[in-house]
Amino acid sequence: MSGRHDKNYMDVDSDSGGSYIADDPDFNEGGARGTKGKGKKAVRRKETFKGKSKEQPYAWEASYTRSWDTVQEDDTGSLQNSVQDLLTQGRRRRLLAPAAAIRRTIIRHLVILLDLSSSMMDRDMRPTRFDLMLEYTREFVVEWFDQNPLGQIGVVGMRGGVGERIGEMVGNPQDVLRCLESRTKLEPTGEPSLQNAIEMARASMSHLPTHSSREILIMYGSLTTVDPGNIHDTLDACVRDKIRVSVVALAAEMKICREFCDKTGGSFGVALNEGHFKDILFELVPPPAQRAAAAAGPGKGSTADLMMMGFPTRLPDSSPRTLCVCHSEMKSEGFICPRCMAKLCDIPTDCDICGLMIVSSPHLARSYHHLFPVKAYTAVMELTPEERNTRLKMCYACSSPFKELQKTTITAPGLSPLDRYRCPNCKNDYCADCDLFVHDVVHVCPGCG
Amino acid sequence: MEDSPSHLSLVLDLSPTQWHLCSTGENPLPLNAFLAHLLTFLNTHIASKHENSLAVFAALPGKSEMLYSSTDPTPPEVTDTADSNTYQPFKALDSAVVNGISRYMDAVDRNAPEAPCALVGALTKALCYINRLNHVPIDNANLAPTIPKAPDPRILIISVSPDLSSSYISLMNSIFSAQKLKVTIDVCKLFGPDTVFLQQAAHLTGGSYLNLEHKEALLQYLIMTFLPPPKLRRYLATPTQDKVDFRAACFCHKRIVDIGYVCSVCLSIFCSPLPVCSTCRTKFPIKTLQRLNSSRPPPTNGVGKPKNGVPTSR
Repeated sequence: MSGRHDKNYMDVDSDSGGSYIADDPDFNEGGARGTKGKGKKAVRRKETFKGKSKEQPYAWEASYTRSWDTVQEDDTGSLQNSVQDLLTQGRRRRLLAPAAAIRRTIIRHLVILLDLSSSMMDRDMRPTRFDLMLEYTREFVVEWFDQNPLGQIGVVGMRGGVGERIGEMVGNPQDVLRCLESRTKLEPTGEPSLQNAIEMARASMSHLPTHSSREILIMYGSLTTVDPGNIHDTLDACVRDKIRVSVVALAAEMKICREFCDKTGGSFGVALNEGHFKDILFELVPPPAQRAAAAAGPGKGSTADLMMMGFPTRLPDSSPRTLCVCHSEMKSEGFICPRCMAKLCDIPTDCDICGLMIVSSPHLARSYHHLFPVKAYTAVMELTPEERNTRLKMCYACSSPFKELQKTTITAPGLSPLDRYRCPNCKNDYCADCDLFVHDVVHVCPGCG
Repeated sequence: MEDSPSHLSLVLDLSPTQWHLCSTGENPLPLNAFLAHLLTFLNTHIASKHENSLAVFAALPGKSEMLYSSTDPTPPEVTDTADSNTYQPFKALDSAVVNGISRYMDAVDRNAPEAPCALVGALTKALCYINRLNHVPIDNANLAPTIPKAPDPRILIISVSPDLSSSYISLMNSIFSAQKLKVTIDVCKLFGPDTVFLQQAAHLTGGSYLNLEHKEALLQYLIMTFLPPPKLRRYLATPTQDKVDFRAACFCHKRIVDIGYVCSVCLSIFCSPLPVCSTCRTKFPIKTLQRLNSSRPPPTNGVGKPKNGVPTSR
């Protein structure tokens, strides 16, 4: 370590990489890479730059300090078990969050702000920041609509000092993906303007009803912003409009971005590498908890509302071909709005004719798992001799055999040395893979059924 | 590509009451006759391609169980004697399934009230199993004999029980995860009225739903409809269903509604505007109620008015 602390090394690295600050709390708590006190050492950028003392390493170095010490060979000299444990631990991290009852916003409205400035052509993330951002955004949109079928997404780009509307606010993933499709249309140029883009996003959400959430997600690769006015006014306006701003920075932490997130209740993260970029982006997929103040206030601040929704009749493929109202195309299949009898191609959507929200019952059902989550499984630390005889020797869900007690190299809360995770309800044991699968994908406990 | 192996997970609904009804009424099909059809079908599946894999799950009252899996070494059955006239995999499969079923049927307490069948549990297990096949762990990649990644997976549900409304949410969740894993769900309804939930399952995952008319021809139905893997079905005329009902039933009167009122907090559906959500006790603003009530019965009054602030500017 100390050998790398010479002046040259610093200078070479500080121009581009000096920005990686690992003070994203999530990242520090996650114990995928040895957790020894690096959280405290992660210091603000300014201090790091000034005080190049030997005791205070750069934050990005600190976060990797002892990662190799935690990996230990097992008896046969193989690293595989250790590596596997690390992987499991990293994946389980998300599950450890407290599963208290919280009210979540089911009807979401999100505007994605894409940085399309020239700094996005940087190659520090492969192939370029821009390409990576586009790729992940597409995946994000798919996943987001999967989990929030009643939500809507709009896309705004930041380039050449202005905000540019790339996609209108729509509830259909295909429409959003279509506007992210063309790489050449989104070619990055010029400087980004945070204020212009945020104002544009804010304006497009001003008409939304109170029971829906208003969110802005900014993917920001630049370290500067060119604004026509005082950006703090925009910040105040966002707070007033209850818009939640979240930022995923690709370069470094900017104070104004951090402030936006802190004051509006969003989350802020600096992507350390490609994988981490995806992680912090996808953490924004599940619906956020509704703000406590809004949920508690029974009077004026109440956000609950009764919504009128239409359940359409589906036309079978064999029905006669007619024109649809959304694309004016001749089609036989489609859905009929129950109020105005217009024919629509895709649901969920708002009826183009009468504005009624058109959904089908599976769409509503898709959101139910946020409301009735599976209880977190508890890690089984050891089995009593009696249990050892009576318990199933294999995972209750997938029937893969459990490992016998073995020395794991890492002990962390929530990680079972036996690879057994027990449902508090049905008292069955599951393997780590099934635990993840049940909580992330299925949302049904196989034992409780 | 047309000749790729496929994985089949069978979910067998073994509700004793329903099977009793099925074996008595008109046009009966007792369990043992059914098993003869089924085992032939399963044997056909594993015989039609060497790499084909199979897992059998039983949905029993209150619990679910895996009866057979072609990837796991089957526990040696004591009663088995080598039979030179039988193909050994067939033998293993048949005895595992038959012994498993008889074991559970014998254990059924005849006096206790029957718990509802754990169909969702069995379905979830089948999904977990497919998920496990998809993720061959790294560490035994070189040790274990190459476990085939579940190719072209599908689930066949053989159902005899009616819909269980309490399991609606969990069943829908399993359907959505099947969609995500690209698992096709086929449903064969052997006895009783159509189940709306399973119809939706088949529709959403692109599978076939079949309500048997002639139970004695079960094997033919199974082979013609459910044996070809989903990839091949494009070339075949498999039964499709046109009339899947996607309308929702309101929570208050269980009436099927065209236009419903939905609580923004818990997504409960009501057929008329209510001041308080009956599910989550949320109070709704008076203004919304007035607006919704005023625009309610004659639909002509409501058209053109912005509802819920939904934008009409398009």
